[in-house]
Amino acid sequence: MSDPSDKPLWQASASFELIKLRADTLRTIRAFFETKNVLEVDTPILSHASITDPFIESFQTRYLPLTKKIHTENFYLHTSPEFPMKRLLASGIGSIFQIAKVFRQGEIGHKHNPEFTLLEWYRLDWDHHQLMKEVEQLLSSLLLPYIDLAETHFLSYKHAFINTLGINPHTAQRKELLACLNQAGLAAVLDENESKDRYLELLFSHVIEPTLGIAENGQACLCFLYHYPASQASLARLGKDEGQIVAERFEVFINGMELGNGFHELNNAQEQRQRFVQDNKIRKKLGYSQIPIDEYFLTSVDALPDCAGVAIGMERLLMVMSQSKHIDEVLVFPFERA
Amino acid sequence: MASYSTNEFRSGLKLMIDGDPCAIVDNEVVKPGKGQAFNRIKIRNLKTGRVVERTYKSGESVEAADVMDTELQYLYNDGEQWHFMHPETFEQMAADKTAVADAHLWLKEQDVCTVTLWNGNPLAVTPPNFVVLKVTDTDPGLKGDTSGGGGKPATLETGAVVQVPLFIAIGEDLKIDTRNGKYVSRAKD
Repeated sequence: MSDPSDKPLWQASASFELIKLRADTLRTIRAFFETKNVLEVDTPILSHASITDPFIESFQTRYLPLTKKIHTENFYLHTSPEFPMKRLLASGIGSIFQIAKVFRQGEIGHKHNPEFTLLEWYRLDWDHHQLMKEVEQLLSSLLLPYIDLAETHFLSYKHAFINTLGINPHTAQRKELLACLNQAGLAAVLDENESKDRYLELLFSHVIEPTLGIAENGQACLCFLYHYPASQASLARLGKDEGQIVAERFEVFINGMELGNGFHELNNAQEQRQRFVQDNKIRKKLGYSQIPIDEYFLTSVDALPDCAGVAIGMERLLMVMSQSKHIDEVLVFPFERA
Repeated sequence: MASYSTNEFRSGLKLMIDGDPCAIVDNEVVKPGKGQAFNRIKIRNLKTGRVVERTYKSGESVEAADVMDTELQYLYNDGEQWHFMHPETFEQMAADKTAVADAHLWLKEQDVCTVTLWNGNPLAVTPPNFVVLKVTDTDPGLKGDTSGGGGKPATLETGAVVQVPLFIAIGEDLKIDTRNGKYVSRAKD
């Protein structure tokens, strides 16, 4: 494959072949959801409020009325279409999907571009286990013409840590986590006073994630990892697994790369508000800006029907299909060419 | 002290790591969907040549290494040090055995080399990609054999030993690729 960085900056980074692969893939996805009676929706990119996640940063812009005198409030480019899609679900629309351009500050690298495409969908009356099966069905059908896949792995977050590091992430003490970091040569990365979640994230991203989605014979496979620590629940509801309170959240991996993230959706507004407030507290401690809580969304949360939702990174998926090493190979005009 | 933030990391950037000057070989952003971002870099230690991996929290800063490449002319070796001169300022500089390392096999007087300076002192010496060196010793050439089918060792004026075709004789000038230490051709006058 030719290296796109050799091309002049005015030219497309992706080859015509991969531009066509994207078009074909989008068509296949739309056909998939049509057969399943899942409705395609289109929600705003620009919103009054945004997500509070400490480690996802929204682009901000100002609205300028026609008088061109005073900029009014801040607006945010969405980082995923989750909130407006859930407001539709709360209104009773039924199962829906969306293919949306989303934006995240600072995320640039081999597998990241600040502007990227999410395929996001929600299934009414389903839990995360049912949704994982559908994600497997869709991804397998998209990938199989391009790569051989070994049997799919379904694995809890806890067992991934036990298999790779021999520790239970839910009960491990700081000392044990530090010992694991030490062994991986990562002891100096974090400060002593950081929360246990930062330790877990570092171990996960450097030691565990690179092993996920690779079968014993080295072949690629889909790997679903589920039941994250309750402290990493985000917008997932809490449940119990082997006596432990866990987040009913999952992520899907292939060849050591994350493709998507899903939740059995939380529909308790009070609990959701507490998590947003907690996020903003963490942001404050880290010196990050405070994000206004999306009250339109929060007002709808109690009316959200039982459902599960997932977001898949389209560029990551195209990278796997085309065996690309760098995200720029599947983007027409990546950030530096945009 | 100058420093670089992780968002300035790119291949070739020179950093001080564990007290040694290092160059970034590869920079990878590791960002779990909802977790903290890290920069995982591969770095080459410019003193030892060893490549190792390091991880930093995104947003951290790392001390810059005052490392720069200069083009200097090689003058002579006094038995302990190799002496170089800037072709315009005529400023002279001496490099020790650690800095010169294997490059001494290819250093010919008058040739212009890349001398990497750290805090103003020679850290490494890179000879030109191609040098012309005279054969000082080799087995007698087989007259008439120009096929290049076989080979034999030849000692060059710098002490380097390279494999050469059988027809090469003592006193000939040879073009050598210093990156792999291989014979390229007879030098054309």
